[in-house]
This record gives sequence, C-alpha cells and structure tokens, in this order.
Amino acid sequence: MTVSTPDTTITHEPPFPVRMARMLWADKFALCAVIFLLVIIVLALVGPSWLGELATKQNLRGRNLAPFDWSREWVWWMGADALGRPLLARIIVATQNTIMVAAGAVILSSITGTLLGLVAGFSSPRIGQVIMRLADVIMSFPSLLIAVIVLYLLGSSILNLVAVLSITRIPVYLRTTRAEVLEIRERMFVQAARVMGASQNRILFRHILPVVFPTLTTLATLDFAYVMLAESALSFLGIGIQPPAITWGLMISQGRQYLTNAWWLSFWPGLAIIMTTLSLNLLSNWLRIALDPVQRWRLEMKGRKNG
Amino acid sequence: MLSFIRKRSVASLISLVGLLVLVFFLSRLTGDPAALFLPVEASAEMKQQFRELHGLNDPLMVQFGRYVGDVVTGNLGESLRKARPALGVVTEAFVWTLWLAVITMSLVTAAAIVVGSLAAFRSGGFFDRLSSIISLVGASVPDFWLAIVAIVVFSVNLAWLPTSGTGSILHWILPIAVLFVRPFGIIVQVVRGSMIGALSSAYVKTARAKGVKAGPIIFIHALRNAMLPVITVIGDQAASLLNGAVVIETIFGFPGVGKLMIDSILQRDFNVVLAAILVTALAIFLMNLLIDLAYALLDPRIRH
Amino acid sequence: MKKMLMTALILGSALAPAYAGSGPIKIVLPEEADLLEPCMATRSNIGRIIMENVSETLTELDVRGKKGVMPRLAEKWEQTQDGSWRFHLRQGVKFSNGTTFDAKDVKHSFDRVMSDKNACESRRYFGGMKISANVVDPYTIDFKADPAQPILPLLMSLVTIVPEETPLAFIREPIGTGPYALKNWTPGQQIVLAARSDYWGAKPQVTEATYLFRSDPSVRAAMVKAGEADLSPSISQLDATDPKTDFSYLDSETVYLRLDHNIQPLNDVRVRKALNLAIDRQAFIGTLVPDGAVLATALVPPTTQGWNPDVKVFPYDPAGAKKLLAEAKAAGVKVDTPITLIARTANFPNVTEIMEAVQSQLQEVGFKVDLKFVEVAEHESYYSKPFKEGRGPIIVAAMHDNSKGDPSFTMFFKYASQGTQSGFTDPKVDDLIKRASAAVGDERAKLWSQLIAYLHDDVVADALLFHMVGFSRVSPRIEFKPTIATNSMLQLSEIGIK
Repeated sequence: MTVSTPDTTITHEPPFPVRMARMLWADKFALCAVIFLLVIIVLALVGPSWLGELATKQNLRGRNLAPFDWSREWVWWMGADALGRPLLARIIVATQNTIMVAAGAVILSSITGTLLGLVAGFSSPRIGQVIMRLADVIMSFPSLLIAVIVLYLLGSSILNLVAVLSITRIPVYLRTTRAEVLEIRERMFVQAARVMGASQNRILFRHILPVVFPTLTTLATLDFAYVMLAESALSFLGIGIQPPAITWGLMISQGRQYLTNAWWLSFWPGLAIIMTTLSLNLLSNWLRIALDPVQRWRLEMKGRKNG
Repeated sequence: MLSFIRKRSVASLISLVGLLVLVFFLSRLTGDPAALFLPVEASAEMKQQFRELHGLNDPLMVQFGRYVGDVVTGNLGESLRKARPALGVVTEAFVWTLWLAVITMSLVTAAAIVVGSLAAFRSGGFFDRLSSIISLVGASVPDFWLAIVAIVVFSVNLAWLPTSGTGSILHWILPIAVLFVRPFGIIVQVVRGSMIGALSSAYVKTARAKGVKAGPIIFIHALRNAMLPVITVIGDQAASLLNGAVVIETIFGFPGVGKLMIDSILQRDFNVVLAAILVTALAIFLMNLLIDLAYALLDPRIRH
Repeated sequence: MKKMLMTALILGSALAPAYAGSGPIKIVLPEEADLLEPCMATRSNIGRIIMENVSETLTELDVRGKKGVMPRLAEKWEQTQDGSWRFHLRQGVKFSNGTTFDAKDVKHSFDRVMSDKNACESRRYFGGMKISANVVDPYTIDFKADPAQPILPLLMSLVTIVPEETPLAFIREPIGTGPYALKNWTPGQQIVLAARSDYWGAKPQVTEATYLFRSDPSVRAAMVKAGEADLSPSISQLDATDPKTDFSYLDSETVYLRLDHNIQPLNDVRVRKALNLAIDRQAFIGTLVPDGAVLATALVPPTTQGWNPDVKVFPYDPAGAKKLLAEAKAAGVKVDTPITLIARTANFPNVTEIMEAVQSQLQEVGFKVDLKFVEVAEHESYYSKPFKEGRGPIIVAAMHDNSKGDPSFTMFFKYASQGTQSGFTDPKVDDLIKRASAAVGDERAKLWSQLIAYLHDDVVADALLFHMVGFSRVSPRIEFKPTIATNSMLQLSEIGIK
C-alpha cells in the first residue's frame, strides 16, 4: 500500500478528457451519478416548456391516483396529486425551480463563506475577530425571522428566497474554512512557501484552498438536500416559491397531510431529492480521488482491471 | 488562554448587544401585533387601546430606550400573548431544548465518528458504500416523514412507545431517534472525507509503511488531524438544534424553544422573540467559544 | 330551581344510560391556550378549555336543540319599558374560591371586559354601543344599552363571570362558578381541570379533564387510537377513516372570497356574477372539501336566525360566465386586468389545493388570476381596512366563524360601509343592517333574510363557497357528539363515560 505502482510502465499519458472518462468508467457508482445529474440538468432546461401544460391540468375526479398503473400514459406512472395532476410530470417541471434555488443558495453561501473564512484565517486577528463574531450573530439569528423581515421589507421573489437561504448557511463554510486555514498555515509547506516569498494570494489559493476544498464540497453537496427541504418550510410563510409554481420541497410539504393515505404524493419528490444528493456526493467523492495525483492510481488501476 | 477568553467574551458581548438591537428594530418593521392579538372584527379603537396599553404607539426610539432601561435592571418584559415574563417563558422552554440537543449531539458525535472513520479506513469498500448511502439518505430525508412514520409504526401499530408528549424516559426515544438522523448523516460524511485526507497524509503513510499495524495508534493520530472540520460541523448542527427543533417539537408536542420562537415571530410577540434570541445566542456563543478552545487543544500550533 | 332540577334530570338521563360511569378523561387539542383569562374566552383556543367549564355566563345558546338562549347563571330576564334588560340571578352559587356569586360580581365582570386597562377580547361584541350595568339588589342586575340591544341576552352568553376581587389586568388562574376548577397548568405540556364538589348544578360524569396539545392532526388522531387521549375534537378528514370513532360535524366556519368592489374590473356586477358562475363548487365536495360540507349562500351557517332558504347557490355555468365577461368587456370594463387572489397559508385544510383549483376555474372562463399565499399578518393587512392605496383588483380568500346564532356578529363587519372587512358601500345594505340589528323576533329574522338575499342576488357582494365540516375522533369509552360550537366551546358536562 504505497504510492508507487511498480507494474505500470510509464507510457504515453492519454489526454485529460480521455483519462477522466476512463476513470469515470472505472467507478460505476460515479458513472450512474453523472448520468443521473445530466438527466436532471436536461430536465431542468426543457421540463417547463415540455410538460408545463400537462403538469398544471387539474382533474378533481382523478385525484390521488395510485402509482404503477402501467396501462396509462407514462406521466401517470407515479400517480397523481390531490388535484389529479400527474406527479411524474410535476416532478420534471419542478426540477428547474428546485435546481435554481438550491444551486443558487448553495453556491452563493459556499463561495461567500469560504472567502470570508480565508480572510478571517489569514488576515490580522482584529479583522478575523470581527468576521467570526459576525458569523456568531448570523448563527444565532433565527432563519425564520430573517425570512419574515425580508418578506416585509423586500417582498417575495426567488432571488430573495435564495438570499435568505444562503445567508443562514454562510457560517458553516466560514468556520470550516477558517479552522482549516489556522491549522494549515502553520504546516511546513506553507511556511516554506512564505519564506520563499510567495505572495499572500498565492499561498491562499495555491496551497490552502486545495486542502480545504474536499471538506467544503462534502458540505456543499449535503447542503443541497438541506436547502431543498428548507425552502418548502419557508414557502409556508409566503416567501419565494408559491403554488402554482412548484419545487420538490413544496411538493413534499403539500403531500405531508396525505402521508398515511397517499404516500406517493410526498414520496417521489422526496426520492428525487435523495437521489440528487446521493449523486452529487458520489460525484464529489469520485472527483476528489480523480483530481488527486496521489490517489488517482486507485481508479486507474481499477479501470485497467475491468478491461 | 485566560486573556483569550476575556477578550473573546468582550467581543461576544458586543456582538450580542448588536444582535439584540438589530432584532429589536427589524422585528418592529414587520407589522402590527395588535392586528394579530385581536380578532379581525376588533374596532380601530380597540386596536389603538391595545397599542397604548403595551406602549406600541410611542416612537421607536422611546420604545427602545424603555426596553434598554428595563433590560439593564434585568427585566426582559412581558409576553403579549401569555401575560407573563418573557424570560420565564423562554428559559422554561430552553431547558427542554438544551437537554434534547445535548443528548442527541452526544449520540450523533459518538456514532458518526465511529462509522465515518471505519468507512474511511476502507474507502470504496462495501462498508463505505453502505454507510455512505445510509448517511446520505439520512441527511436528505424530510424529518416529518420519519416522525410520522415512526409514530405510526412504533406507537400505533406496535404500541411500544408513546406517540408524543413528555413525562417519562420513553417519551424521549422517538424525538431523539428522529432528530439523530440528519446530523448523523452529515457528520458521517464529513468525518469520512476528513479521515481519508488524514489517512493519506504523508506521515500516516510513513507509519503504515514502517509496518505499524492499522491499529489504534494510526487511528488516533489520523482522527486527531481530521477533527478540525468535524468539530466545526458538529458545532453547526448543534447550533441549529439549540435554535430549536421545530418539526420535532411540533409533531411530538415537545415544549422546546423552537416552536415558541416561531409562534412568537408569527404573532409578533417581540419580547419573547428577543428573550429567546438572547438565551439561544448566549448558548451558541458559548459553544463556539468551546469549539475554538477545542481547536487549540487538538492542535497546539493554532494560536488565537 | 325546580326547572333547573328538571333540566338537569333530563340532561342527565339523556346523556347517561343507567350504568353510567364516571372518571377522568384526556382531550387533545390543536393549539395550546396561551392564557386562561376568562375575558378572553371568546377566543377559541381559550374558550374550548374554560368556557362554561370554569367560567360560566349569565345565559347560554342552545347549540344542540332549537331552544335559543337558555338560562345559566341568570334564571330569567326581561326587557323593561326603557329598553334596558333586567337579569334575575341564580342564588346559592359559589365561586371556586369559596365566595358567593351575586350581582356585584356580574357588574365587575362586565366592567372588566369593557375596561381600557386590559385587552379583553370579548369587548369586540359590544362595539358601537354604550352599556352600563346597575346593581338593583344582590340577585338582580339591569343592563342599559344605547342604542337598545334586542339581542343583549345573547350577548351575555359571551361575558364570563369572575369574582368581584379579580384585578383588571390579565390573570393566570381563572376563578369561576363552573363545574370545574383549574387544578394544574404546565405551560407547553398540559392543563388539568378537576370537578368541583360544591358546584351548583348537576354533577358531571367527567371527574377530571387533562388537556394536551399537538399541532399535527395525524398525531392527534393517533393518540386517540393508541389510547393516550379519549377525545380529539378536530382531526383531519384524511384520518377520519373509522366510522366507529370518527364523526363529522358542521362547524360554523364559512369559506368565501371577499371581493373589493372599489377597483376595476370587480366594480362591475356582471364581472362579479361571472366570477360566481365560473366556480364549480359542487366538484369540491367529497374531493378537496369533505363530504358533508354545505355550499354557502350566506356568510352565516344555516342554523343562524334569518338564514334564507330561498337563496339559491350560483350554478356552475362557464358559458354564462364567458358571456357576462364579454358583455362587460363590450361595455368598456377592463376585464383583462390581472386579479390577485390572496390566501393565507394553512388557513384551513387543503387551502392550497382549493385555491389552485379556484384559480384554474377562473382562468378557464377568461379571468387573469395571480395566486398569492401570505402569512397571517400580511393576510390581515389585505383583509381589513384601511386598504392600501394604489392597489390592483384583489380577491381575499378568508374564513369566517359565526356560531352565535345571530347574523349581527357578521353582517356589520363584513358588509356595512363602515365594516372593517367590507369591500363595498351600499346604502340599502347599511339600512337593512341597522334595522335588522334593532328589530326583534320574526321581524328581525325577516330583515336578515332580506339582507342575505339582497347581498347574494343583487349586490353579488362576494363569492361564497362552503360551510365547512370538522372531524372529531371519540374513544369508544366516552360518549360525545360534537356541535356547531365545538370549535369555540367544549362543555365537559356534556361528555358521558360508558
């Protein structure tokens, strides 16, 4: 179990995309994840224009139709909701809003949090102290109160929803980054870089960020699920996504009261969230190995063995 | 160390005051409590009288001055809704929340560190895959699903546990079990990720190469290195529990601070909102202080 | 006294078979009482616990039969020459703190409700009138009202009686003359009432009632099923699947769409009529609204005095609606203006789905409707005056509760020019409300009927939807039938134990 792999004769290294594709092929879990995410992205792009009509067509006589009725058209295979609308079509249409809100909030909060964390860890203790106490304040500010205040002062819109959700998630990225920075900057290689006269920015982005990165991606992929669920809790207040617009989170909360009678109403959108989180996580785990020159051999070995 | 704690306390106190001032003014921009306390049929005079009675007609700065004056003498005001001291209402509820958070987080931490490190030790193996899937599902499953299904299965069908409420040890089992799932899922993943990094770091590799068995020494070394992000995330999860586990409190009728906070925000019961934020913020600030101390203990090179 | 004994006997024998038992019960409610203040008992979460259990009133409304206003702490009453009312009080009644009930307590209770030193909710029923209470002798009291109040005896069913010593500020331990007294209150967990041994009336079968609070309807249903509670007065329609324990009842809540007649295009009666014709009300019943709900033709439930059986529900007629809209458009009304439909989240079961369905039905005939869900405070700002300047056309979906048996608790607020939730001004409506409020007996009923028909057929004031039904789950070990008033009052003495 050492780094060197004696059986590989150093041959001509294939170009980057081919290498990545091979490594992806080697990890079947990651491959499935990538395919699933690609499908999700495509659905997010075409869903509303493709099935928008069908997903909003109500039929009170066909309400809570049970799933797995293969004799019907495919959009009905997951059953129908409380207004008789096909669930599969609704899930597909909801993909766009869901991904927009979740990706928006996660990306915004992770980037802001990480940058602030880098600054807090690397700048003067005074600035660091100010940023950290600010994070404390955000952490103890109830997110519901932020939501109500935003709602009253700014009104409801998707953008405000994304803002509310991302503000509340900033501290965890901030604290994680800072904690790692404090540790890493004392490590040998950073000290060495510093002695050799590397600039502050270079140290931050070349030496420190790569070490912090894996933890942050783990957090971010998990936050996807959190944001999708939290968003439905906030729609209770009238902020952000409101029916007839749909997201998976909203579908789950609408199905809540039918949990014991018509489980499929909240089950399928829940499954969609779980599958997306799972795929993102598998992908990020794979990426971490694939991009790490020290660990890459695991995938390359496997790929070769599998033929 | 002591001077660090002193400095830190001062800074925390300043931000706590800032937080309360912020909440005081912002919350008052969100509507009129009189319209919510009185029924829609109440006349304008009744609403006027209600506001008069509770000093809501005075200019904002006057209200603020009065509030500060009261707080200085240790009085956090009365709840509009409950007609009793806001601080009493909040501390009563917070005790429940605190216990729930402490018990749950202890269990989660212990379980997640064991499972996460085992998964990291043979990353890509069967146990790793299994624990990943379980923890990820746990992190993304809606908590009310779990709660309702747990009640139907364990309380109604099997009749092993009470559905909800408080009273005996048995009443705590379902809420804690449901509350356990999400943070467990998240922390397992963070432990796993961090441990993989630590185990592949140069000196652990060297130790392995030297023939030190994959035993406790390596494990403890790597774990120690991997703990920084783990502790941070534990803190984040604990903070959200200290802010109240709203769904759990709602479904299981658990008298914690989360539902109290939500109700007070929706009813614009400002004094309770402020008191609740004061108490939970104190707890969260204190916890963050402990976490920062823990960093220093884990890695003495970290200076504050 | 004799009459009272008789009623007690009849009541007793009706409720309890010969082998009737007695014992404690547990009741699970959706919302905790944040106060147990008697003068707040008209608020449902408080009233359900203390109204007529701890705190009694001079009169009470018969919600099980058609007897109208019945005696409680007053034995009888009459109207004197000058229009004021004289109440003769029951003797030998004691408060749970041992003091004797007399006219001074009544006067203090009334003055306390009307005081500006507290925020007693019950005061809202006495808006726009001046009332003074005069003690005649220890067991006789006069209420003089200006203008004269024909329904004062009914209004007195809303004033809970507290002892003379009660401070004006809100109290936390209610003292009353009722069959129960507060035994224990652990905020956030439970409230316990225990039967009094020195109650003046018949001894109830329930010896002790523990109130528990769970906001999730399926948990409430599960608790009765698991034997952790004996009664849940409100569970979800979806959980009401067991005919042996689950009963539906008409619950006095009426859902309607309040229209703002001040803004185009809702200022046009053809448009309002089209709106009514576009909604397929019947399609909701048995689907999104439970079976047993009644299509509304008035904002008050059918058990109310003056409810008009001749008013007919608007038929579902999309073609007719389209035609009316076209006519209005031809006459220059801007029927294409987008209308905002405001609804409150979690206002009533299935509110989201019902509103989405209404929206799509309106769009079907050519209305442009945006649906907006808001939280309670914002909803209130749309529902009640003053309305925002520069607003567009707005429809507010709301629910109104009148279990008091008389339309006066509804009509002024919702339809008079000065009413806080009224969306229009109509002199004839104002006149009818004024005359009906001052009238008595058949005349009163007739005027209310006239008003209801006028509002529905001529003004087309709003789009009335449903009188809702509630569901209760009752454990087989107790005997209880919910009534139209169960939302606001739950008399333990009406519960039998098998």
